[in-house]
Amino acid sequence: MTQRRSYAVGTGLFIVLGFATLAYLATQTTSVANVRLGATYTVDAQFANIGQLKERAPVKVAGVRIGQVKSIALEPGKEVADVKLAIDQHYDAIPDDSVATIFTSGLLGDQYVGIQFGSSKKAVADGGSLALTRPAQQLEEMLGKFFGAGGAADNLGGTYTVKARFTNVGALSVGAPVKMAGVAIGSVQSVQADPVKLDAYVTLAIDKRYSQIPDDSAAAVFTSGLIGTQYVAIQPGGSPDMLKNGDELVLTQSAMQLEDLIGKFLVNGSSSGDKKADGAPSNASPAGKQ
Amino acid sequence: MRRMSPDNIVLRSLAQIGDCGLFLVAVLKAIPRSLQHARETVRQIWFIGALSLTIIMVCGLFVGMVLALQLYHVLSIFGGTAATGEVVALSVYRELGPVLTALLFAGRAGTSITAEIGLMRATDQIAAMEMMAVDPLAYVAAPRFLAGLIAMPLLTCVFCAATLLGSHLVGVHWLGVDNGTFWSNMITAVDLRTDVVDGILWKSVVFGAMVSLIAVFQGYTTPPTSEGVAYATTRTVVASSIAILALDFMLTAFLM
Amino acid sequence: MTEPDRATSDDRALVRVRGLTTVLNGKTIFDAMDLDIPRGKITAIMGPSGTGKTTLLKHITGQMRGDAGEVWVDGASVPALDREQLFALRERIGYLFQNSALLTDFDVFENVAFPLRQHTSLPEVLIRNIVLTKLQAVGLRGAAGLMPNELSGGMARRVALARAIVFDPMLILYDEPFVGLDPIALNQVLKLIRTLNQTLGITSVLVAHELAVIQQVADHIYLIANGKVVAHGDPRTIAGDGSPWTRQFFGGEADGPVPFQYPAGDYAQALGFPRSGA
Repeated sequence: MTQRRSYAVGTGLFIVLGFATLAYLATQTTSVANVRLGATYTVDAQFANIGQLKERAPVKVAGVRIGQVKSIALEPGKEVADVKLAIDQHYDAIPDDSVATIFTSGLLGDQYVGIQFGSSKKAVADGGSLALTRPAQQLEEMLGKFFGAGGAADNLGGTYTVKARFTNVGALSVGAPVKMAGVAIGSVQSVQADPVKLDAYVTLAIDKRYSQIPDDSAAAVFTSGLIGTQYVAIQPGGSPDMLKNGDELVLTQSAMQLEDLIGKFLVNGSSSGDKKADGAPSNASPAGKQ
Repeated sequence: MRRMSPDNIVLRSLAQIGDCGLFLVAVLKAIPRSLQHARETVRQIWFIGALSLTIIMVCGLFVGMVLALQLYHVLSIFGGTAATGEVVALSVYRELGPVLTALLFAGRAGTSITAEIGLMRATDQIAAMEMMAVDPLAYVAAPRFLAGLIAMPLLTCVFCAATLLGSHLVGVHWLGVDNGTFWSNMITAVDLRTDVVDGILWKSVVFGAMVSLIAVFQGYTTPPTSEGVAYATTRTVVASSIAILALDFMLTAFLM
Repeated sequence: MTEPDRATSDDRALVRVRGLTTVLNGKTIFDAMDLDIPRGKITAIMGPSGTGKTTLLKHITGQMRGDAGEVWVDGASVPALDREQLFALRERIGYLFQNSALLTDFDVFENVAFPLRQHTSLPEVLIRNIVLTKLQAVGLRGAAGLMPNELSGGMARRVALARAIVFDPMLILYDEPFVGLDPIALNQVLKLIRTLNQTLGITSVLVAHELAVIQQVADHIYLIANGKVVAHGDPRTIAGDGSPWTRQFFGGEADGPVPFQYPAGDYAQALGFPRSGA
């Protein structure tokens, strides 16, 4: 029956079209390399600040993907983030004095771990570590480590509270993360205006696992990226005494400065031009849209 | 013919869900028998899949165009218009593609399945099949269910491709985002497993099964009157839409 | 009240119903009914609306099962059959639905070919020949390419009849085949029923109300009321058997012994409101 055949042909065409689009979407609009999960070996790297780095973020050599970030953890009592990298076993000749650096793809892009080869003859082995790391380059520092990871600390298993006063908290809201070295260690419990001193009085709930924060540490209100929410960053000091429940952080940095900085950076570009010369791979031109 | 059911709307909905589940079991059991009616499945893929292509492509095109327009203006505030392609692709692959396609599918194909089966019941066609020793579950219900299951992922792919085309038209050709940046940012950001497989494929298969099950169930169990058919058609759209959005939340929470 | 004579259950009966009792939604449809359909004959089943004439056909085809009693078709007990045996039985039974029940997706040709395609893998040429033969028999070979919605009521019923006889069944059940037909179409269907019975010897069961028509065609009439066979016999003699049932029914009297069988509630049922049985 011709009637029957036309259904069959039409349906066939439809199915072929569907699979062709699927193939197109799967191969032409994705990075297929992202899913290649062959045999890997694990290497440790410790960073002072991981910024916005996430699990499954790529690990690259000379811009080519060779593996991914397996896990990120903050050792309690330490100020460094412990990052485990799963690297494809095809790339087993990475010198053990190579430098691991956290880079950003563009101004707003994801962060990744770049490995710059050293000169050692010995290759780093499974379970080994890369001792030489750089947390992030100048661009991030300039923007104030503002590309910090989003999200509050997970599963606060008991907290202690610390207070801090800011002349301006910007858009900081209750529940915003408290971070150290870019890793969430607690959350903002309350934000109140002090009617007498005319400043903001912020209570921070910090996970008890992170009880070894020096009492002269500084608290700053930062923004996650240019468009992200605000959070409180703790920058550890050098005092031998640790923060206790109910203590107040004396050294604080308000939100205003950050926004000034970004505003200057975006609008003028000139004031930060010389800082950029420090070697930041800034491939995002400051938008002159304002 | 009105089912004797509890007055309480919660109990009634639960009873419907229970009936629907039992019906699913019956349909699944009928699938092996329906393989001898493979032609009918092919015909149904044509009717509910291929004939939905136009609405899917047109809607996808416009969704892509409006997404590009909106995102461009928001992103331009931060100088991030280069990310237009990537944000369109991610939002469409993960959420809008499967959900909108399923909603359109429920409106275009789900209602026609329900109305068709309801009318077949009202005009004794189902009974006539029984009398001709043809199992209507295997000949009517299962092929439509399978066709929905097969057509939905394909339609979702087409929808996503149309969306990219629409956003490309607006973003690159009209608003002036760089063509290379548009694609390369998208390629870097989109992940095959989490976005294409978990997003497009998984969700659309589940939605396809859900919508066609609801449509076939409503048609099959409706009172064989014109009023009953009209009512069942409405219920197909309402129940499908709720099921799609609720399932979408659960799948997203589960897959992410 | 005359009990049906059990002596009629001769061995030539194709369908034999014994002690059939069916209760639907609390209403007794059949109350220990006995009935025989002889082979090769046209048997008419008559009775007031709502007495379960269509339900009786559904029992014969196994679409419904009684609460008690037996239904035998060609030596097989219908309620005892499993699904496959039932389907095998149904392939040998033609059923003409009141509203024809043509598949709206297919044209006339494909409708008639449908059972063949589902149950055989005959070559296309053979299917075509069989279908055209059957369509020729009902006089609609020229309408093979039409869709069901292009057919008049009488044509649709003839197409449905062609479909019902496509496997040359041993038994055809006609469910109100004359309803809604103009006199011409009615006589065409009537002619077909008679021809099929006389030339092919197909046993026919006719559920109908049209008394004059039935008397022309039927060999045997069963009159059902109140869940029982209240009278049966030859069409010429049954009206004169003197029973008040037949006198009222065949005389078309508005009032008689039957009305006390029609409580007010049942009248509403006859209008099709709650729990219609037929």
